[in-house]
Amino acid sequence: MTYRLDRRQVLAGSAAALAFGAFGIGRAAAATHMRFLWWGSKERADRTFKAIKAYQKSHSGITIEGESFGWDNYWTRLATQTAGGNSPDLIQMDYRYIFEYARRGVLLDFTPYMGKSLDIKDFGQQNIDSGKVDGKIYGVSLGVNSSAVMVNLTAWKEAGMEPPGDDANWDDFAELCAKFTKQTKRRDYYGTADESGLEPAFEGWLRQRGKALYKDDGSLAFDAADVAAWFDYWAKLRKMKACVPPEMQALDQLTVETGMISQNKASISFGHSNQFVAYQAINKDKLGMIPYPVPAKDGKPGQYLKPAMQMSVSASSKNKDAAVAFVNYLVEDPEGTKLLGVERGVPASEKVRKELAPSLDALGKEMADFIQKLTPKVGPLPPPPPNGAGENQFLLQTVSQQVAFGKMTSQEGGKSYVEKAAANIKRG
Amino acid sequence: MTDATMVSAADTVAPPRGRPRWLSVLIHAALFIASLIMLYPLLWMLAGSVKNQNEIFGTASLIPSHFDFSSYVRGWMGAQVSFGKFFWNSFVIAVLSVIGNVISCSLAAYAFARLKFRGRNFWFALMLGTLMLPYHVTLIPQYILFLKLGWVKTFLPLIVPKFLAVDAFFIFLMVQFFRGIPRELDEAAMMDGCSAWRIYWKIMLPLSLPVLATAAIFSFLWTWDDFFGPLIYLSDINTYTVQLGLRSFVDSTGSSDWSGLFAMSSLSLVPVFLIFLFFQRLLIDGIATAGLKR
Amino acid sequence: MGNRHDSAAQAGRIALPDVPAATAPRKAPGALSRNAPGYLFLLPWFIGFFGLTLGPALISLYLSFTDYNLLQAPNMVGLDNYVRIFTADDKFISSMKVTLFYVVCSVPLKLAFALGVALLLNRGIKGLPVYRAIFYLPSLLGSSVAIAVLWRQLFDSDGVVNTLLGHFGIQGPSWISNPNYSLYTLIVLAVWQFGSPMIIFLAGLRQIPTDMYEAASLDGASKARKFFKITLPLLTPVIFFNAVVQTIDAFKAFTPAYVISSGTGGPIDSTLFYTLYLYQEGFGYFRMGYASALAWILVIIIALFTAFSFLSARYWVHYDD
Repeated sequence: MTYRLDRRQVLAGSAAALAFGAFGIGRAAAATHMRFLWWGSKERADRTFKAIKAYQKSHSGITIEGESFGWDNYWTRLATQTAGGNSPDLIQMDYRYIFEYARRGVLLDFTPYMGKSLDIKDFGQQNIDSGKVDGKIYGVSLGVNSSAVMVNLTAWKEAGMEPPGDDANWDDFAELCAKFTKQTKRRDYYGTADESGLEPAFEGWLRQRGKALYKDDGSLAFDAADVAAWFDYWAKLRKMKACVPPEMQALDQLTVETGMISQNKASISFGHSNQFVAYQAINKDKLGMIPYPVPAKDGKPGQYLKPAMQMSVSASSKNKDAAVAFVNYLVEDPEGTKLLGVERGVPASEKVRKELAPSLDALGKEMADFIQKLTPKVGPLPPPPPNGAGENQFLLQTVSQQVAFGKMTSQEGGKSYVEKAAANIKRG
Repeated sequence: MTDATMVSAADTVAPPRGRPRWLSVLIHAALFIASLIMLYPLLWMLAGSVKNQNEIFGTASLIPSHFDFSSYVRGWMGAQVSFGKFFWNSFVIAVLSVIGNVISCSLAAYAFARLKFRGRNFWFALMLGTLMLPYHVTLIPQYILFLKLGWVKTFLPLIVPKFLAVDAFFIFLMVQFFRGIPRELDEAAMMDGCSAWRIYWKIMLPLSLPVLATAAIFSFLWTWDDFFGPLIYLSDINTYTVQLGLRSFVDSTGSSDWSGLFAMSSLSLVPVFLIFLFFQRLLIDGIATAGLKR
Repeated sequence: MGNRHDSAAQAGRIALPDVPAATAPRKAPGALSRNAPGYLFLLPWFIGFFGLTLGPALISLYLSFTDYNLLQAPNMVGLDNYVRIFTADDKFISSMKVTLFYVVCSVPLKLAFALGVALLLNRGIKGLPVYRAIFYLPSLLGSSVAIAVLWRQLFDSDGVVNTLLGHFGIQGPSWISNPNYSLYTLIVLAVWQFGSPMIIFLAGLRQIPTDMYEAASLDGASKARKFFKITLPLLTPVIFFNAVVQTIDAFKAFTPAYVISSGTGGPIDSTLFYTLYLYQEGFGYFRMGYASALAWILVIIIALFTAFSFLSARYWVHYDD
């Protein structure tokens, strides 16, 4: 995924840059130039560039060059740049990878800056801790999100049905989607996407059964039978035509733009709450968000609140102080946080949440409300994923496709996934 | 002694005597249909670039209900950076590659074809060997080398190798051609006291314009179409070539703007098509030369 | 002196550029200065050869025995990479299968079309240049991203291919996202580009002296006989060349697979070309040591294939010398 910068912004930005250049000739020595790398959609890029511009305006002498990539090649880019000694000063970090990068010495420890240029006490201990590795703080939470289910409300209304509610369980969910497929007049349109290959969905389902993806020591916390049951569920949906056929699902590349709901093939896609803004931007119909289906009766909460993404600074940055100051701007400053909005997640800072509340648009409010509603129902943050966990999300997609296309039974799929996932972890 | 020319693919062949009319008609019909099928994908893409979004799929028709050129404008500005930048980048890289290739390969070809020096046959055989070597095996260390040099993210890894004659195909092509130039010219010049450089510069090159042009054209085409190189070396969207820009456009617009995508795709093929139109002869003769042993 | 120039000019029938005569006599050159011009002209090539070809090839051989991952220094792991490739890597097996299937299907088909159309065109058709150009154009465009994107949409579930099939009452699958069919779309794409070998076949056919055919006709030979006894044998060098070049190119295919599968080689690794797999390992996961091992295995396979081709050529390729 990349993003668009509209002409006006480019012109304005270049004019500003030129002006700064002209003014800055004398101050060349004092100028600080930093690079900021993040992943995300056009929506996120627009907001981030606005925030950068505003910061540059109020901090003359500082320029920040922003680069955005799609999730699928972000980590490649980051690794290349890091390996080439060309690491960006400001790095958007993910929970799955922060351990690897921190332990390799790539990230700056924020601890010395706490209480000084980095004032995030009002995050609450849990949110501060979510960025800790081995007791040191390497990431500052840019926002909190949780798994969510995107629903095309317009399509359900058209079909004359009520979409699944907050307390629908997995079986209800399947029934409703099957009924939807039958009743909708849209061509080749199904109730839901086939999310058997989506790791966060699988994780939620596991946690509801009292299991998890990984144990504290990094080994798998589930077994082949769990996986097989998961695949069986979605096989049932495929049979009921509640979800899209495998050929269509194969087009989903785990991005907002390629999701089944965005490609107009299904009325429901599973995702994350902070992606709501991006999904709505692409889809002309009105979208809504509901939590994951709940477990049958005595199940545990499947969802948890996670740091959607974090800000880190490169340990080899030449502008550490300036970088940390900018990080603070993004998460605590009224202007910065307003420009970023809730697109990266609901802000971890309580003060910021209160400040933003009145200015949130309908979408933002919905996201904030969603998190609010969910908060009492969530479970604890799972232990950080081990090295190699990144590959397992793609592995699940592949194995689920093998099952969906009939190359393997659910049982075989379960066994295969467990074996290969464990091998990936061992390989590191 | 063969002429200093390239194998010319003749344009006409007299039809065999006594071929029945109906056979000719049949052959023409078959060829005509085959041509349509060959060109259909391209025509469909062109048509799609001016159709409305919902008209593109579901029909096989090439005729749009009305012509909508806004897709070209949308597509042009569609990625974060305008396609003008992408075209410029591709152009710069291609032109520099052409220059590099023509210079370095002709130098090497001249040495192999005309100069006597110890080990010439050995090095020539090695050069031919590199033609067979798949790039995969040099890919990673080259990448690491450029990484350490700090060239990753710039155009340099894509251009500098061209100045070092890594495209053995062109050396081969030129050697074939040089061998066709009468040696008497060289010998005469040497008797007059000309150095090797002078002979190269004043005799060989001017006489080799056809093969140099062919090398230039192929070099331009291959560089223009190169996706893998830019993929691994260019990470800043402002440095993207057209091929990368197209891919990025696909990623960012998903299924929302097919006509825009087709518009930009069509544009990306225009330089190739133009070269094909004007330099067909050279291309075809060049390939024919490569394929046939003298 | 003037005479020599004139005769040379006549022999070559080329306009002679002015070659100014040097005035001082030259002294007899020693060994070094005799070789010097050659080496100097080859200097760029030498730098390229050692620095960008031989050097990297040897380094990659070394890396294939390490666990280099770009972020940390390489450690020797002996044959571990190779062992893993041959015993514990099913993506290697998939990608080998996919690549071999692609090569074995697309190359003969491509050559068959190329030869067939060349034969047709060689029979004296009016408008030969036009047809030749039309058939050649796809080869020129073929490896670009634009074509790969186009191809993906042609074979999409709503694409032209299915629309046309629909006219015949056939409900086509979504070709590109169905693992049973996705590879075929790539094969069709390869065969679509038969124009390039076709040109070479045309040129080769051109070179067959027509008097051979005339002599055979006089002897009462049928068309089929003429084809099998004259045309085909005399074409074998060209067939050989085309077969080798097209096969090696097919092994190196990357862009179409990458674009059509969005870099995944999917669905279910059905379009995971070997090059794509190598790219994923080397530039996706940065397992550069492992990717180097993969690269060398490909080199060996291609080398074996080339050696085998050249050896077998002795038995079926007729060179006229």
